[in-house]
Amino acid sequence: MEKKLSEMNYEEEGRVKSIEQDLKNKVAGMGIRVGKNLRMVTKHPLKGPMVVECDGAHTSLALSVADRIIMEVKK
Amino acid sequence: MKKILLMGNPNVGKSVFFNRLTGANVIESNYPGTTVDYAKGYMKVSSEWHNEACSKCAIKRAEVEEGTEDFEIIDVPGTFSLEPKDKAEEVAVKMLEEEKGALVICVVDASKIERGLYLALEIIERGYSVVLALNMWDVAEDKNMQIDIEKLKSILNIPVVPTIAISGKGFKELVLSIKKAASVEVKEIMEKVGEIK
Repeated sequence: MEKKLSEMNYEEEGRVKSIEQDLKNKVAGMGIRVGKNLRMVTKHPLKGPMVVECDGAHTSLALSVADRIIMEVKK
Repeated sequence: MKKILLMGNPNVGKSVFFNRLTGANVIESNYPGTTVDYAKGYMKVSSEWHNEACSKCAIKRAEVEEGTEDFEIIDVPGTFSLEPKDKAEEVAVKMLEEEKGALVICVVDASKIERGLYLALEIIERGYSVVLALNMWDVAEDKNMQIDIEKLKSILNIPVVPTIAISGKGFKELVLSIKKAASVEVKEIMEKVGEIK
């Protein structure tokens, strides 16, 4: 099932399916690239940033950034 | 004087490296983004140190007799890549660009090695001589991670040193490996790595 990274639930895991072109280089340095497995760790209230785990490292992303990353989530 | 830049992702221990190498006392904390401006310091590598290390390392006699050498060390704010996203990263990238010909110690969190290598490759790509320091080696061990240093060395063709900055482990090897740093063509690295999917 496909959904935006920003729509993922707590502890949900998925694979990065696509990233908007102009965002690709921006998040690549933090280890987020197409094909990577991510786990949603937490979301902050009031549309604050969300935290995802990627290769054992926690990375926080603004919701506006997470909106532009499409994930493939199991089932 | 030869310049050494300390670069790496945020929160990998660059400032602890800086304090250890120079004896300075810049602020260290357990938060990313502690260093937003740069700090400069000096390190003297003395011949005695070389002598002492010589019995264990394969450093040639002639090099030992060169005597002391001074280095200027610059603590750079952490950055994920060389395409700056904020002010602190802008400072980091600008400093790297200003110091053409400087040597770079790329500090990597060994437990989050992948994103560190991303930055290391970017720095190598720009033609800098790089020494890779795999810091927080103890943390990686705690997480049961095994890193094949020899393989990393042969792929990257640069010195790779495991370190634990807070205890000082690996610093002697790190300082000694500075002389062995050379710039490498990214093309050569890519050939060894092969196709990346």
